[in-house]
Amino acid sequence: MSQHAQVISARAVPHSMQGPLVTLCTAVLPVWARHLAASRSQSEEAVTEMLSAFSELSPHLAMAARQSRQVSAALAVGEGGVMQLAQACEKELSPLLPGLDANAAATVHRVIAMVGQFVSALEQVVPPLVHETDVVSKQVDRMYVGFQFQDRINQMMTLLLQDIARLQSLMADPGANEEALASADWLARLESQYTMAEQHSDGALGAACHSDEPSTGHGEADFF
Amino acid sequence: MAQTILVIDDSASLRQVVSMALKGAGYDVLQACDGQAALEMLDGRKIGMAICDVNMPRMNGIEFVKAAKALPAYRFLPILMLTTESQESKKEEGKAAGARAWMVKPFPPSSLLSAVSKLCLP
Repeated sequence: MSQHAQVISARAVPHSMQGPLVTLCTAVLPVWARHLAASRSQSEEAVTEMLSAFSELSPHLAMAARQSRQVSAALAVGEGGVMQLAQACEKELSPLLPGLDANAAATVHRVIAMVGQFVSALEQVVPPLVHETDVVSKQVDRMYVGFQFQDRINQMMTLLLQDIARLQSLMADPGANEEALASADWLARLESQYTMAEQHSDGALGAACHSDEPSTGHGEADFF
Repeated sequence: MAQTILVIDDSASLRQVVSMALKGAGYDVLQACDGQAALEMLDGRKIGMAICDVNMPRMNGIEFVKAAKALPAYRFLPILMLTTESQESKKEEGKAAGARAWMVKPFPPSSLLSAVSKLCLP
């Protein structure tokens, strides 16, 4: 159903109610406007506060992620990685074993085994470390996206506040004519100021807020 | 020396989000709350690129692009429009004014940083 069809035309309101309705709107609209403005301001304040805390946390998270990547790279299986340490020790020490007495050879074997255990323990640590780093990075990215919804809320509330103010001034204008009250024109003017896809599509506002994905765009830049 | 990026948006929270993403990647950031304030910052200083909202008071993003492009020192300044505007006609307006790219908010930081790395002057 289009927004235009949802609107009750002025003619649908019984004549006897039109006066009281104007009086009611004159009293209520400033209250709605005040509440909207307070909601917008408190929401902006809360998000700014959260962003401030997040900005303190963010460099530490980034540093932890960088260090985790460095540790992962250092422990990686492959040339120069710690995972090759056990093999390298064995390779270097094995040729010496025939020349050693039994006790010394046993000690070398024990040392090689200890290095092997140590490397194996590190091997167990790497995959969860990489996984945890990925999880943190993804959550940080989601927070960046989530914080941006304040801007969208702000824009929608500003538009509503402007429209309420416009209606208030129209109601206070003794010279206002019927043409100024035409709901179709009013809505068309309001719609011309929409900037977001959700504002154009009925019923999509709530869905956009619950979605994991940004509600508009494809998340990539279009280059000209 | 880090490249400097000028971030223009009338939303303080949005400026903060963009700045955090950029600073985390090693860029220096200058902030302006609308096109007029941003234009006043184009005083000869070296700027690698600008990231600009479209709908702002005093001077909107499209007007800013035109004004910046009219300054000889900033003729080649790459400008990325970062906006909630979903209308194709607005995007065309931005392109005609001289913007180099268009991105719809909300953005994942990786996408913004990828676009910045392609556009930012050394």
